[in-house]
Amino acid sequence: MFTTGSKLFIGASALALAGTLIYSATQDSGAIGTLGLASATIVLVFLMGINFWVRDSNVSSMDTPGIVACSAAHPAPGRSMWPMVAGLGSALVPVGLIVGKAITWIAVIVLMIATVEWMVQSWSERASSDAAYNAGIRKRILHPMELPVLGAIGLGMMIFSFSRIMLHLPSAAGAIVFGGIAATVLLFGALIAAKRQVGRSLVATLCAIGAVGLIGAGVASAVAGGRHIAKHELAQRTDSVDNCTGNESEADSHSSRAIAGKANLAGLIVLQGDKLYAEVIGINGRQDTLTLPRSTDSFFEFKNLDSGKHRLVADLGHEVVDPGTDKERKVPLILCTQAVGEGGKQFIVIKPPRPTSADQQYFFEVPGIDSKLKIEVP
Amino acid sequence: MTNLRTRYRRSALSAAAVGALTLLAGCAKDAPQDTFQPAGENAREINNLQRPPFMIAGVVLVIVIGVVFLCVIKFRDRGQVIPKQTHGKPALEIALTIIPALILIGIGIPTVKTLFDLAKTSDTQCVVNVTGQQWWWEYDYPVQPGCLPGGITQPIVTANQMVIPAGQHVLLRITSRDVIHSFWIPKLNGKRDAVPGRVHTLRMQADQPGMYLGQCTEFCGLSHAYMRMEAVALDAPGFSAWVTNQLAAYTPPPAGTPAADGEAVFLANCSRCHQVNGIAGSDGKPVIARPDLWVYSGATPNLTNLMTRTTFAGASFDLLTPDCRAKLVDAKSADFTALYLKGVEANCLDAVQLREWLRNPPGKKPMYTDATKLGPTNGKTRGMPNLGLSENQIDQIIAYLAERK
Repeated sequence: MFTTGSKLFIGASALALAGTLIYSATQDSGAIGTLGLASATIVLVFLMGINFWVRDSNVSSMDTPGIVACSAAHPAPGRSMWPMVAGLGSALVPVGLIVGKAITWIAVIVLMIATVEWMVQSWSERASSDAAYNAGIRKRILHPMELPVLGAIGLGMMIFSFSRIMLHLPSAAGAIVFGGIAATVLLFGALIAAKRQVGRSLVATLCAIGAVGLIGAGVASAVAGGRHIAKHELAQRTDSVDNCTGNESEADSHSSRAIAGKANLAGLIVLQGDKLYAEVIGINGRQDTLTLPRSTDSFFEFKNLDSGKHRLVADLGHEVVDPGTDKERKVPLILCTQAVGEGGKQFIVIKPPRPTSADQQYFFEVPGIDSKLKIEVP
Repeated sequence: MTNLRTRYRRSALSAAAVGALTLLAGCAKDAPQDTFQPAGENAREINNLQRPPFMIAGVVLVIVIGVVFLCVIKFRDRGQVIPKQTHGKPALEIALTIIPALILIGIGIPTVKTLFDLAKTSDTQCVVNVTGQQWWWEYDYPVQPGCLPGGITQPIVTANQMVIPAGQHVLLRITSRDVIHSFWIPKLNGKRDAVPGRVHTLRMQADQPGMYLGQCTEFCGLSHAYMRMEAVALDAPGFSAWVTNQLAAYTPPPAGTPAADGEAVFLANCSRCHQVNGIAGSDGKPVIARPDLWVYSGATPNLTNLMTRTTFAGASFDLLTPDCRAKLVDAKSADFTALYLKGVEANCLDAVQLREWLRNPPGKKPMYTDATKLGPTNGKTRGMPNLGLSENQIDQIIAYLAERK
């Protein structure tokens, strides 16, 4: 008469109804509890009704085609995390709309992934009565998408973790730590290679420990923040030598400039004994005139071998601003390095826009020192 | 069957003809850009280095091909019993590892020595700054104690043809104003990249006076193929005369001549980008060109002594007629300097080329000058735009430029 499922739902519905009545009669704390229990009662009654209708999906023994087609004749669907992921994505959408676009986009992507995965999994589970075959066709469809994405995520996490750790550690310690990690990996690799029979579970456990350790250290380093990295000022442009400012103890470490400067200098400019001179490749001896091409970046290293702090100043005359407009005007073109003490060095890049002429002379000079280096631009 | 045989025979003959032509092309005697015909000590070092490996590689190729053919023919499938299969032959494997290693070591040692020799700068006698830009080369001679007995006291700038003293160790300091180019005069040395913001050095030495051709070897945009270079080596007195001429004061054309009219046209149309040293405006003040305001690279060829060189537009077009050009290029070393120092004489000027260029530069050499497509370069052109000159103006400019030597 009553199927097993129906009996369960009848009992649950009766219990919920009784609970609702008792709660509403005895508690004065408001209508929310009563409302909740009443909702539960309604849901259970609804489910009871459906179950009465389908009668536990039981099939009459007389219904031969129904026996083959009924749900119970098919394997039960496997466990799936995608409903949960889809729920997470759905929940994140409104959160993202309030907090920010990035979360909304992440939620949408999560929802799309969950939808596709869920659909393909559901479809594959109904493809045949052979569970192994069904699992195989799911893999065939989804692995070409899943594996690259998972690989990229794994690689990204590894890079992120390494970078955070390296940024957190002092630069000297970084070399030691990563040298040690590399040696450990090599050692374990050699041991595993030397031992003929190594269980897969052991290797997997070691890899898992390594991955967890790396990601944990990466997250901890990210939370702790990076080490202090000193920044050194570049040469600055100004309209007067008097406006040159800044003192530095080290050369500019702005990487691209520093590399170019160290590797391929147009020349070295030295202040020594109140005398400014240049050394350039190919011309022997100290030069008091430099010839540079126009409209071209030329890199120089300034070395202060004099006592006291000094800066190098490049006086490149004037530059026309807003040419051909009502605002056209000439502004002084002066570049100066940071002041450095004895033995210190700085980099400077100059790009003379016009050739030198009788009324347009260019110089390198050091404020307070009566010595100039002439720049010729043909 | 006969058709098939005929087709095979034709294919084999065609392949043989292509192979023979390729082989014969290597025997060309007048190839102007041939690394196997060095004309200076640096190129000779490279040639001395490359010949033995080529020979060794040739021998190895013959042995390998021979063994392959022997195996293919001797052991081809004739239905015979498959011989006993073996795996590994340590003695042979070790020998085949050691012999190539020894060959590589044998090549490696002289290669490293040559690399160091070619990087040497301590024996420099003359310095030239070389600056590449789309699509021409600028050469400037810095103030220095070298090149001449008394040194160079004022900087010189020229374009397209680099003049050097024959026999001297010249050091090129190479850079670029826009994109990466590569400087290569095959008969004088290997190639060197010209990279913006970096100065790369390259030794250059020519044994004898003469003209040595080259080509930009790093793809650098639309007219990369039109970015050529010519190194001109002069004997010592000739180089001294060339320097003196380059530094000579400007001589304005006589009033009332077509050249004088050409100077006015030049001032009105060309001088905002092209510099002619010493030229003065109507107010008597020197006119300084500002290519940095109009051209992306910030530079254009200096035309002060245009007719002392024999090419223009990235050494792509001749200022000399073909006969005069051939006479100069084929001149004996002893006669070359005097012939070159004559510059472009009136009877040798190929005005047609110059006229075509002035009429429509981007039509003669592809360049980025379309005003509607200059957004990425902030309105600046890469190359010379069409100035819309009239035929009369072109004639006047040519008359003026013909005197610039």
